[in-house]
Amino acid sequence: MKKFSIYVSGFALLLFLFWLSLDIGILQLHSSIFSLIGKHGLDATTVWQVRFPRALGAVIIGAGLGVAGAIAQGIFRNPLAEPTLIGLSSGATLGTIALIASGASIYGTRANIASAVLSAAITALLVQWVAPGKGFGFLLTGIAISAILTSIAGLLISISPKPGIQSITFWDFGSLALLNNSTVGMIAPYLEVGIIICFLISRRLDIYSLGESSSHYMGVNPARLRLIAIMGLAFLIGASVSAVGSIAFIGLLVPHIVRLLIGPAHRKMLSLSALIGAIVLLLADFLARTLIQPNEIPLGLLTSLLGAPALIILLRVKRASWVSLD
Amino acid sequence: MIEIKSITFARGNHEIYSAFSSHLDMGESVLLTGPNGSGKSTLIQLMGGLLKPHSGSIEIDGSNIDSLTSKEQALVRSIAPQRRSFTLAFTVDQIMNFLPRKARIDDNSYLMEQLGIQKIRNKKVTELSIGQQERVSLALALTQRANYYLLDEPFSAQDSESTAKIMELITELKKEKGILVISHNQDAISKQFDRVISLA
Repeated sequence: MKKFSIYVSGFALLLFLFWLSLDIGILQLHSSIFSLIGKHGLDATTVWQVRFPRALGAVIIGAGLGVAGAIAQGIFRNPLAEPTLIGLSSGATLGTIALIASGASIYGTRANIASAVLSAAITALLVQWVAPGKGFGFLLTGIAISAILTSIAGLLISISPKPGIQSITFWDFGSLALLNNSTVGMIAPYLEVGIIICFLISRRLDIYSLGESSSHYMGVNPARLRLIAIMGLAFLIGASVSAVGSIAFIGLLVPHIVRLLIGPAHRKMLSLSALIGAIVLLLADFLARTLIQPNEIPLGLLTSLLGAPALIILLRVKRASWVSLD
Repeated sequence: MIEIKSITFARGNHEIYSAFSSHLDMGESVLLTGPNGSGKSTLIQLMGGLLKPHSGSIEIDGSNIDSLTSKEQALVRSIAPQRRSFTLAFTVDQIMNFLPRKARIDDNSYLMEQLGIQKIRNKKVTELSIGQQERVSLALALTQRANYYLLDEPFSAQDSESTAKIMELITELKKEKGILVISHNQDAISKQFDRVISLA
């Protein structure tokens, strides 16, 4: 009953925020959203061509980031494993920027998304290969490799004359401002594949939480599971980074909230992580574009500003703790 | 039968097994003892396919374990390792249902009762004592449907009453299965096993 009410309130909040995202912006609408369905004109174009893809993008990308966080923490058996910390996001960013800088592609193309997915996967495998262990050594390796890739990406942005390459702020802090119906349509299948892969391995992650040897003894091949998880993560992070840059804290914070609400079973966690991830990103984007209109606050700044204190509060709550980092 | 055929294994320069052979049959219980560092847990890891012998082979029911996947191995043998990392706050009940339905025994209530974890089935494993966690770990291994059960130090954090209950369970189970138990403290229990292997 508790879980049911969590889901019902979550969906109600998501719908409310979605409606709010369509209704409120720089341009004040002259009629209700429902009366604009199938209509033409400035109001209808603003709602269906600008605000709708942005809100829908926030929902699917937020869901993807929530799921990615839960899977990353589960597969690396580390409560701090977050896609932006362990190199996946910076790998995806570099993959996207390198393709744009080389002139082979521009922002928002299929080639760009594929390049981001591939680079994210290669980076995750590299971090795993180089890291001396699964605990702090793994995190520090991820942070170090992230720093290198972010620097290379920054360098490419500085020297590239290509106009579509966007700014460092866009890639490092993320922004949903460039999302349109076409980009959302292009990243949706990648996010879908990523989420399906993550759901397929979710039950095995419960067994894997007992340790690698226990996992093998109980019939789950740890190396294969990690590889599948990295593929799922690469689809989720690659697709979202290629379209909106790197958004911090959602992947780290959401799984901690979810574990506190419904416990650590991964299959249940993934559904609720998707829902809460969608809510958090939709809310963050709404605030980012409305708080200081007509300017926008970089999204990552806002997610960090809201997410970091929330995480500290959560970690102070005993039930949210993770027993060890081994 | 699990057959260990003349295996050699070393950690660095320290040779642990040199042309070591042994076996575990269905319907028998075997106690493996020896001082610390004699390679008791290493043998379980070798028999569990986690480590590979440098020479020789280990076969389960005629198949070399190297040729079996993790899943195939888990269908014929189950292992309770010396230590499991219970890092997430699952309830005991959730843990007992980790394995897919096909891979676990139909009814675990007797097992849970005997191991004294029936009453704590709704408690979070992270909040249990070391002894209770050890019994949950043992119960998890025993719910796995298999022919052979390899139990690494199942009594290390147990009092005499719990040890007696676990021994009852082992004696019951060995009628149909093969059981290998590692224990460094063998005096009180060795007579209850069919065979004792002492490692030097």
